[in-house]
Amino acid sequence: MQHYDLMVVGGGPGGYVAAIRAAQLGFKTALVEKQHLGGVCLNWGCIPTKALLHGANVAHTIKAAEHLGFTVDNLSFDINKLVKHSRSVADKLSQGIAYLMKKNGVVVIDGTASLADKYRLDVSHNGVVTQYKADNIILATGARARNLPTIKIDGQRVWGAREAMTPTALPRRLLVIGAGAIGVEFASLYNDLRCDVTLVEALPRIVPVEDADISALAEKAFKQRGIKVHTSTLVKALDTSGADTIAHLETASGAQTVAVDQVILAVGITGNIENLGLEQLSVATEANFIKTDAFGKTNLAGLYAIGDVAGAPWLAHKASHEAVICVEKIAGVEDVKPLNKQRVPGCTYCRPQIASVGLTEAQAIAAGHSVNVGRFNLNANGKSLAINEGDGLVKTLFDANTGELLGAHMIGAEVTEQIQGFVIAQQLEATEHELAHTIFAHPTVSESMHESVLDSLGLAIHQ
Amino acid sequence: MSSEIKAINMPKWGMEMSEGDINAWHVNIGDKVNAGDDLVDVETSKIVNTVTASGSGILRAIVANPGEAHIVGALLGVLAAADTSDADIQAFIASRSAAPAAELPTPAVAETKAAASVQLAAAPQEAAAPQHSASGMSQLAAGGDDSHVFASPVARRLAAEYGVNLNNIIGTGRHDRVSKRDLEEAVVAAGGRLIGGTTGPSSTPQFGDDSNVKATPVARRMASQLGINLFECRVSGDRGRVCKADVEAVAALKNKLSMPTSGGSSASKSEYDVKAISGMRKTIAARLQSSKQTAPHFRVQIDAEIDALLEVRAQINNANPEAKVSVNDFIVKACASALVKVPAVNVQFDGEELKYFENAHISVAVAIDDGLITPIVADANRKGLVAISQEVRDLATRAKLSRLKPEEFQGGSFCVSNLGMFGIKQFDAIINPPQGAILAVGAGEQRAVVKAGQLAVATVMSLTLSSDHRIIDGAVAAKFMSVLKGYLEQPATMLG
Repeated sequence: MQHYDLMVVGGGPGGYVAAIRAAQLGFKTALVEKQHLGGVCLNWGCIPTKALLHGANVAHTIKAAEHLGFTVDNLSFDINKLVKHSRSVADKLSQGIAYLMKKNGVVVIDGTASLADKYRLDVSHNGVVTQYKADNIILATGARARNLPTIKIDGQRVWGAREAMTPTALPRRLLVIGAGAIGVEFASLYNDLRCDVTLVEALPRIVPVEDADISALAEKAFKQRGIKVHTSTLVKALDTSGADTIAHLETASGAQTVAVDQVILAVGITGNIENLGLEQLSVATEANFIKTDAFGKTNLAGLYAIGDVAGAPWLAHKASHEAVICVEKIAGVEDVKPLNKQRVPGCTYCRPQIASVGLTEAQAIAAGHSVNVGRFNLNANGKSLAINEGDGLVKTLFDANTGELLGAHMIGAEVTEQIQGFVIAQQLEATEHELAHTIFAHPTVSESMHESVLDSLGLAIHQ
Repeated sequence: MSSEIKAINMPKWGMEMSEGDINAWHVNIGDKVNAGDDLVDVETSKIVNTVTASGSGILRAIVANPGEAHIVGALLGVLAAADTSDADIQAFIASRSAAPAAELPTPAVAETKAAASVQLAAAPQEAAAPQHSASGMSQLAAGGDDSHVFASPVARRLAAEYGVNLNNIIGTGRHDRVSKRDLEEAVVAAGGRLIGGTTGPSSTPQFGDDSNVKATPVARRMASQLGINLFECRVSGDRGRVCKADVEAVAALKNKLSMPTSGGSSASKSEYDVKAISGMRKTIAARLQSSKQTAPHFRVQIDAEIDALLEVRAQINNANPEAKVSVNDFIVKACASALVKVPAVNVQFDGEELKYFENAHISVAVAIDDGLITPIVADANRKGLVAISQEVRDLATRAKLSRLKPEEFQGGSFCVSNLGMFGIKQFDAIINPPQGAILAVGAGEQRAVVKAGQLAVATVMSLTLSSDHRIIDGAVAAKFMSVLKGYLEQPATMLG
C-alpha cells in the first residue's frame, strides 16, 4: 500500500496550498483531486466570474462613453466570446496549479477519495479503487451551492453559479434569488449585459453581512441601474409549467408574481461532506460542515479539515491561510497563530465594488465598544469624479478608547484593491493616529480612506 | 585586543568527565573578579565543584546558563578588562562557537538553533521586571520613561489608559513588540479589569532562542540563512537593533576562521562516488562503535503471544475516534511498566556512576533519510496508550522533517527498536549509550505453538534485549523480559 506523510483531498485554494506548504516542509505529499486542480475558486468561482465581470465593466464603459464625447455605433455583443474568455483564464490558471504541484514534488492523484479507516484513504478512479496510507490527511473538499426546500437548481430554468457563468445565450428577464456576494455579482453582471434583473433577498437588506450603510448605498446604486430589488421577500414557489417561469413572491406588502425567463439560485452554500467516510469513523460535523479546532484538527486521529468544508467565512484566502497554519502546526513549526476571523477581508465585485474587514458598526456596538465613526463620500474625491465613479463611501470604525481599527467598509470604484491598506493597518495594530499621519498619494481613490480616518477624528479636510 | 580576553572554560575533572551541568554563577556580569575567586558551580555525574578564576578581570559575558549541559572545554563565560569593547567580546564568543562544531555529545539532527543564549552586559536590562506577579496593578505602573519600549500603537495607547509602564511588559509580538494582547494579559494577571469589550488572552506563542534579540528584518533573515545566531552579533543598528552590517561582520569573521578545505584531486573518472559523511552519520558511527567497544553486550530472547493484545488494540481503536494505537505503542507502554517493576534496567551508565530513573523515558528508534534518530517518550509509565500513540506519531513526523528539539531526542533511559514492519523475525540491537539496555522487536506472526500437549496457532512476537553486562546481570535481564512478556500477553495488567 502506497504511503505518504501527508495527503490532501481537494485541489482548491485550501488543498493545493496545503500540499505545497507540506512539500516545502519536507513531507512526502500527495493531493487527490476528482476533477480540476484549482477547485471551485479557480474553475467555477472567483476567477471566471471576475473575467465575466470584466466584460460587464466594458459594457458599462461603452454605455458611459457618450458622456465623454464618443459615439458608439453598430455595437454588437456575443456572450459566447465572453464565456470563452472566462473559461480560458480558468484553464490557464488550472494548468498553473499543475505546474506548481510538479515543481514542489507533490504527487497528484486523480480520483475521488474517501476515508477507509484512520490514516487510510481509498481513491476511486474510473471504477478502480487504490488504497493509501497517510500519517496526516487534510480534507479540503470545499462546498457547493445550497438548494431551497422548494426550489432546486436544475441547470435549465434554475441555474446555480456554475450554469450562470457559462450561459450560451442571454436571458431577457432574470430573477436572482439571494443577495449575498454571489447573488449581487450575477445581478450586476447580467444588468450590465442589458438583461432585466429582479433581485430578491429574504433579509431586510442586500449584502446582509456588510455594514448597513454599505447595503443601503448598494441598493440605491442597483435601483438606479434599473435592477428591481425586493428585500424582506421570500420566493414561495416557482411555476415552470409554462413558457415563462412565474415566481410567487411574498413581500412585506403582500403577494406578488414575477414572470422571468431564467432564475439564478444563490442562497448560500453547503459543505461537501458526503461520501467521505466521515460517518463510519464518527468524525464530528455540524450543519454540514466539519468541526475542527483552531488549527484544522478534527476529532479523528490524523484527520484535518480546512477551507469551506470547515465552515465560514467561505473565502478562498481564508482557506489558503488555514492550509498554511494547519500544515505548519502538524510540522511543529514554532509560533503558528490561529486565524483571526476579524482580520479576513471580504470583497464583492458588483458595481460599485464592495470591500470590508472587521466589525460592522452594529457588531462593534454590540461587542461593547464605544465607536468613533469616520465617513467619506467618493463624490468629494477628485479621482473618483475624474473616472466618472463618484458613487461610494469609505466608512471606518475605531475604538474610542484604544484607537484600534475595528472595521473598515468601502463601496466604490476599485475598493477591492484598496481594502488591503486597512487589513495591514489592523494586523500591525495601528491606531487612527498612524493612519492619519500616513501620506496617501494624490490623485487616487484611496485618498478617501485617509479622509475617512481623519473624519473619525473630526479632522476631514475635503468635506 | 583579544589577548586581554580570557575564556572561562568547562574544566575536565577526572578521566570520565565529558560534560558538566551549570548549577549557579557566583558572580554577575560586570563584577570584578580576582584570580582564585569562585566563578560558577558545575555538576558532573559524580560531583558538584566550583570553577575558579585563573586570572583577574571583569565578568563580561555568561555563555553557559544554569540548567544547561556543556562539554569539556566549552566556553562558559568571558573575563576581560573594562575597556574591552562589547564588539570584541561578541566576536570572541562568535569565534569560539564557530570552531568545534563536530564534537556533539548526541545526534545533532534537529535544529542548530539551540545555541546557548548569551547574556551580555550591554543587553538591555529588561529581564528583571516582576511582570505578571499577582501583587496588583501598582507594580505594573512602576518604572521610568517607557518611550523606548517597542510596542504597537494600540498597546501604547492602552498602556496609557491602564496606567501601565511598558517597561514591565514582556513583548511576544514580532521582534518582541509589545502587542495589545501582551498588555491585556499582563493587566489580567495583575488583577486588573479590561477596558471595553475586548477579547481575552489566548495561547502564548513560543520563540526560538535568538528571537529575543532585537534585529532588523533583513538582519534576521540574513542571520538565519548564514546560520548565525543573533546573539553572536554586535548591536549597532538604530533603536538597539542588530542590523545587516552586524550580521555581515560575524559572517566575515567566521569565513576567516574556517580553514579552506583542499580541493582534492579530481582528475580521473572514478568508479565510485566520494562523499563526506554527514554529521549525523559521524555521530551514529562514533556512538555505536564506542558502545560496542565499551559495553559488553549480552542478549536474552523471549517469545510473547500477542493475540489478546491485538484484540484489546482493536477495541480501543474502534471505540475512540482519536485513537490509532499500534502494536509498537503497546510495546512502549509495556516496557515502561516493566521498567518500573524492574528498575535495575531503567538506568544510564557513564562508565563510573549509575543513574537510576524513577520514571521510564523510552527512546523510540525512527528511521529517517540517511540515518536514524531516537525521539523520547518521556514518563511513558505515567501516560496512557492513546497519549503515547499520539506522541510517537508527532515525534516521528517531526523527526523526518528534522524539526525535533534537542531535549526531545537527547536522554532517555531505555530504547525500543522495532523492525517488525519489515517482516524481520528477530534481531539484536546495539545499546544506545549511556542507556543500559535496548529492546529489539520482531514481527508478530502466526506460529505453531504447543499448548497443553496440543498443537495450536498463536500470533507470536520475538523480543530480544541487549544489555550492558557491566551493570545489568543475566538474571536481571531475564526478569525484565519475563515481566515484559506478562504485560504483553495480558495487556489489561499494564493498564492498572
